[in-house]
This record gives sequence, C-alpha cells and structure tokens, in this order.
Amino acid sequence: MAEYWNIVESIQARHDSFLQEKPEPEMSISYEVGHKDFINSGKASSEIKLMLKRLGVNPEILRRVAIASYEAEINITAHSLGGKIICNIYLNCVHIVFNDSGPGIKSIEKALEPGWSTADDLVREMGFGAGLGLPNIKKNSDVMHIDSEEGKNTLLEIIIFFD
Amino acid sequence: MDEKRYFHAIQLLNDKCKGCMHCVRICPTEALRIRDGIVHMDEARCVDCGKCISVCPFDAIIPTSDSLNQINRYEYKVAIVSASYAGQFTEDIDYSTTIKALYYIGFDMVIEESMASEVMTRIKQHYITTNKEVRPILSSNCPAVIRLIQVRFPSLLPNIFHIEAPMSVLSMYYRDKICIEKGINPDQIGIFLIVPCISQVTAVHQPEGAYKRIQEGAIAIRDVYTAVRDKLPYIKSLDIPVTTHERGLTRALSGHEADEVGNQQIRTLAVSGIDNVIEILQKVENHILDQYDYIVLRSCTNGCVGGVLNVENPFIARSRIHVLIRDAKDEDHELDSCFSCYLDGTFDVLPLEPRSIMELDKDIKQAILKMKKLQEIMAQLPLIDCGACGSPNCRALAEDIVQGRASIDNCVILLKKNIDKNEE
Repeated sequence: MAEYWNIVESIQARHDSFLQEKPEPEMSISYEVGHKDFINSGKASSEIKLMLKRLGVNPEILRRVAIASYEAEINITAHSLGGKIICNIYLNCVHIVFNDSGPGIKSIEKALEPGWSTADDLVREMGFGAGLGLPNIKKNSDVMHIDSEEGKNTLLEIIIFFD
Repeated sequence: MDEKRYFHAIQLLNDKCKGCMHCVRICPTEALRIRDGIVHMDEARCVDCGKCISVCPFDAIIPTSDSLNQINRYEYKVAIVSASYAGQFTEDIDYSTTIKALYYIGFDMVIEESMASEVMTRIKQHYITTNKEVRPILSSNCPAVIRLIQVRFPSLLPNIFHIEAPMSVLSMYYRDKICIEKGINPDQIGIFLIVPCISQVTAVHQPEGAYKRIQEGAIAIRDVYTAVRDKLPYIKSLDIPVTTHERGLTRALSGHEADEVGNQQIRTLAVSGIDNVIEILQKVENHILDQYDYIVLRSCTNGCVGGVLNVENPFIARSRIHVLIRDAKDEDHELDSCFSCYLDGTFDVLPLEPRSIMELDKDIKQAILKMKKLQEIMAQLPLIDCGACGSPNCRALAEDIVQGRASIDNCVILLKKNIDKNEE
C-alpha cells in the first residue's frame, strides 16, 4: 500500500466538492523543516496555530490543528531527511501539506497502529517516538491523506474544517 | 472591538508621562502605546500584571487600591491577609506582632490566607483526581494569569481549576460564620483583602467567574506597612491575643504549592514570572505538557512575594517566609467543613469567558484581508523594533495600521528614508 486516505464520514460531501472545485487558497505560507533539527522543530506548527488564532478560528478547531500539525512536523524532523510544510488557508478550512525528502514509510498500515514506531535512539532520547504521531494526526483531522513508498518521499496532507 | 469596560488597578498620570518606551516594550500583552507623546492603554488587553508600574522611570504609572479609611464604613471589619505579608518585615519583628498590627489599625478580625492552605491542597488533589479528562489543570490563584489566559490563550480556559481562590473561600466561610456567631448583618461586615499585587485588587473589584463580588475592598500591603511600621515596638507590647498560621504561608512562594499538591499520582510543575508563564502556556496549547496533572502559574517572579504592592525585595521576602515555614508548629484547623462545601459546589466558579484580542476581525474573510495587508506593511517596515513610532515593535505597528489605529507615517525610519530620498 502506498496510499492511504482517511475521511471523516460527515465531511465526505464537503471534501468531494473541495476536490472538484480546487479553490485557490486565500493565503499560503511555507516553512522548511530540517533533518533532526529538534531545536527548531515545532516552530512551523506554532506559527500556523498563531496565524489561525489571529484569523479568529474557534479554539477547539485550533486545538486540533495544533496537535495534528505539531505531530506531523515532529515526524519530518525525527523520521525524514528534512522537508517542507505548506499551509493553505481557505475561508472554511485549512489544508496543510507535509512533504519530506525521504526515506519513505515501509508500511503505512503499521505506522498507523498506536504504539508502533521506527524511531531511533536519538529520537527516543528526545522524548519522541512513542508511536502516537500518525494516530494522533488521524484523530484530529477531518481528512488525512498519506502517499509514501520505501525509498521515496512521504507526502502527508490534512484538511481541517473550521465549522 | 469589545464594548465591555474593564476595571484596572492602574492609573496613568498624563502630566508625569514623558512618552518613553519602557512600559510599552515590557507589556506582555502589548496593551500600551505612546500616542501624541503620552501613554495610552487598551483596557481589553491589560491583564494587571503590573510590569509597567515597576519599569516606569517617572512614576507616571501607579497602582491603585482601596484606602485604609474604607474599612470604617462597616460595623465589623475583617482583614484577610495575603501570605506574602509575612515576608515584608525585618526579622527582629515577630510575625505575630505584624498580625497584631492589623488589629491595631482598626480591624476586628484578622484571617490569614495561610489558614486555607491545607484544605485547599486537599480540594485541589480531589479536583485533579476527579477531572481526569482535562490535562494539565492550570492553577487559578493568580488573577493576572487568569486574565492572560482569557486574552492570549482562550483555548486553555477549560483547563483552569474552576474553584474560588483561597482568600475568596475564606471570605465566604467567615462572612457566614460572623453573621451567625456574632449576629451581625452581612451588609455590615466589611471584608478587606490585604494584597501584594494589583491583579488581586482588580479581582476584588471585577471578579472573573464569580457570581457576585465577594469582598468589600483590597488594600495594598505597602499601605498597611506604612501605617504600622513606626509603631511596631509599641504594638508588640499590646495585649492582643493572636494565633498565627505559619505552615500555610507556602501560598506566597512559587514552587511550594506544586510540592504540596503533588504526590505519586499527581505530577506538578511550578512556573513564575509572566514571560515564563507565557512560554509554558504556549507549550500547553501545543499539547506537549499533557503528562503534567497540575501546573501552578504565577505572574510575578518567585510568586506573590514578587507583587508590586509589596515592600520587600521578592528574594529576601522568600527567604524570610521560608524560615517561618521551616520553624512552624503543627496547627489545628477548623476549616474542614470547607471541604464539604467544595463538594457541594459552594466554591464553584462560572466557566470563564474569553477576552480574545488575538483575532484581527470577527469575520474570517475580513481577518484574512487584514492579515494580508499586515504582511504587506511588514515588508515595508525596517523590522528593527526601535519603538519610536509608539508601538512596541514593527509587527504591532503594522497591526495598529491595519486596525486603523496608526499610520505608516508613524515609522520614523521610513520617514527619514523618504526625506533622504527627496534630498538626493
């Protein structure tokens, strides 16, 4: 399996029309995330959270965006060779794309099992690698899409609606 | 944006203000601006932390509190004294003398905040173990922190310990007791807090989450100090029987409360100083501190001993209180019934309302437009945060421009650049 979709049932119709219309984002911001850069990791998700706060997004939605984007950012830092985050803001939702430069996920199914982790010792020493990253992202997003293959890059995108 | 008026225990003295930037720069919620050469405050943003008061070199920002004379309006006068009061006097003066001093200046009954420490610890432990779905639980004792959360971290409002603060618990308990035991009409009982900081003054006059005002006023520790300092040797000799409660003075110091509430099941963290508090709240918001059960947050360095209405340096005060706690005897407390009142819901507070200053506009479409404009303005500004425009930094100026509260001409650096260009 190289691709995985999780779409909250009640969101399906909205998501279909979103895919069909492919609207232009109102705003788009991108961030670089460095390989094993634990010092700066978390800054991009903090900025995304702050930005949405300033746009008046409801605190509960903000909480979900904060958790999902933070976990995904840490994933890039801990498990990849570095990557890029693009945050697209729409009037009714946020679409965040996390794209790294590899090495890819061997088994997305396994990675989605709570507690399953490939984290190395350094990552675990930093207090990460509990195997809750992807499950947490899934839990807190309306749409989650992963496209990955061992030896290639990983693309993770999430959509969270504001209402 | 918000029409509600907010009470603040801060007075800005226009005739003394020189329009310097000290207060504007230090304000943790960016509530202050210099406009037309003097300081202005955005009431919705101010959280009464008091930092501006301590940095103003011209005494143009002063704290306000109720005067001692106010107590004379009541038949029965009660003082509830903050634990940090114990750290204000030099060690040649007994703590019991400083409590006598409160009777000397006219109070009929003196209650120490420290008396509630033991029962409050039990209440907190119970609350933390029964509210397992919320983590971490954030302490509610510091009114400046409560307001900071309302203003900057509204998503964390449900995490606040939703029970009255110890001095309010004591006020409610003793008002009933005095009324019953002494037969005094509740309206004739004047309960005054003796407080270390302005946020406590604000909390008395405009309580958050309370059903009604619980106390009649808040008097500054330093005003009491001034009234009794010279007369202490005389007061010492007076025959006023007092019992003191040193063990619970832990409330005045950051760290102690967390140690008391914490045990094998309850993991705690203690944080003091408003900048540290902000950093921790950001982490809580990102859910990276969920492993903590209870976080004690105090706006002032070292806790309440750091409040601006104290007299003594917070480190010295802490050391003195430390000694008092160390040498304290075991005490009997009559406050056990407070625990059952807590279980009955007597001390519950209303869910706290956000005071959000963060959103650029109520309408997301407008907010996005403003955000884009803000970024365009930021691209023009020098980003050196000199403050000559009267806003705390370039980003804040850009925001002020977007919100129609300033113009790009406020930027002195850009103005000079334009002049230089014209001269060329």
